[in-house]
Amino acid sequence: MSAPPAFRQQLLASIPRLRRYARSLVFDTHAADDLVQNALERALGHWRQFDPRRDIVLWLLSIAHNAHLDALRRDRRIDVLPPERVTEALDAQQPMGGDTGLRMDLSAALERLTLDQRSALVLVLVEQLSYAEAAEVLQVPAGTVMSRVSRARVVMRAWLDGSPNASGAGPRPAARPDLRRVV
Amino acid sequence: MSTTTPPADFSDTELSAWLDGELEPERRATLDAALREQPELAARARLWVADREALRARLDPVLGEPLPPRLLQTVWHHRARPPWARAAMAAGLLVAGALAGAGSMWQWQDQRVSSALATAQNASAGTPAGWVQRAALAHSVYVPEPRHPIEVKAQEEHLARWLTRRIDIPVKLFDLRQEGFELMGGRLLPDATGKSAQLMYESVDAGQPKKRVTVYLRKPDAAAPTAFSYRQQGELGQFYWVEAGAGYALVGALPKERLLALAQAIYKQQPAAVAASAAAR
Repeated sequence: MSAPPAFRQQLLASIPRLRRYARSLVFDTHAADDLVQNALERALGHWRQFDPRRDIVLWLLSIAHNAHLDALRRDRRIDVLPPERVTEALDAQQPMGGDTGLRMDLSAALERLTLDQRSALVLVLVEQLSYAEAAEVLQVPAGTVMSRVSRARVVMRAWLDGSPNASGAGPRPAARPDLRRVV
Repeated sequence: MSTTTPPADFSDTELSAWLDGELEPERRATLDAALREQPELAARARLWVADREALRARLDPVLGEPLPPRLLQTVWHHRARPPWARAAMAAGLLVAGALAGAGSMWQWQDQRVSSALATAQNASAGTPAGWVQRAALAHSVYVPEPRHPIEVKAQEEHLARWLTRRIDIPVKLFDLRQEGFELMGGRLLPDATGKSAQLMYESVDAGQPKKRVTVYLRKPDAAAPTAFSYRQQGELGQFYWVEAGAGYALVGALPKERLLALAQAIYKQQPAAVAASAAAR
């Protein structure tokens, strides 16, 4: 039996957040939407497994995350942009106001993070999940989420501190040891 | 004046957890104090807050984008198929059967999809359908949120001032208590051509399941029609209008009459109407 309309309506309402999360996993807009589509298809194919007492967004984020991991395993060329193309792809995806230099630096900083760090950071800071909820999505212990978020903050900030204002190419320092601890 | 404890030492992990509201209470109190006393620690916290805001500013605009038609198609048209059907489909044998077998529900869904598609196509910045669609999306995104439906609580005095400053039109916290709705708070949203604000209200009927409605406010584009209009998308009703340089969209899964009563209450309280009635006196 196919998924009932009420379930589909819930999926529809969740699409904007799924797309936002996907855009942090896969930087290219179309590839990110491929990931969302894949996640929606998986959700529709397994709608009976969804417990309606749970938050459907958490369930869907988890499906999208797993779909991304599967895609990485299956064919690395689909979803992984070479680092030198990431800034370019992020910049092309949406025209926005503000400080272009800072924006590109942030994109570059985000790209510096490992997938583990980036997903934990985005789920907690942008999706505003608790550590327990992020742990559920990522299927790791909450303590792991805590350390990944912290590590991601340190690496990202070090990158922003160390990078020149102009978003030139070339290697930049990954992390500065003096930022590890202030006190 | 000096504390009895030695200067507290905090790891990145603890400071990070503190920012996320995840540090255990006793440690939190110590960190609160340390942040007041240690400028370097406070500076690091501020930078991390700035990074969080930058990250949100980077990714939040995705929420306001029109939905790609192919995702809507996937949601409405995906059908579970038994394995034999999948094989037949692969061979192209089922197409005629699938067309003939589409029941009335599916025709109804088709209409919904085509209207959603039409909306998505119109949703370019500037058309009224575009911003009203974004109002509906923002409603769908934040209303089901159990933890963070709003960004700033209604009780905080600066809510109206903050939103007014950020979206550049006067934001008034409409009082809908006579209509049975209490203000929960508001949030700032990215919109395709600027910023917008969302106020969220919750019903206060004792014994009834809680309902939420949202008021979406933005500076309209010059060409946007000003007429008071209504449209329905699925279970979501939307009243929208433009008045004195401000665009309003009221969104909620309520009967049209109930939503209309709320829209009228807002209309009467909007800054321009208040000014006009004062001038007429």
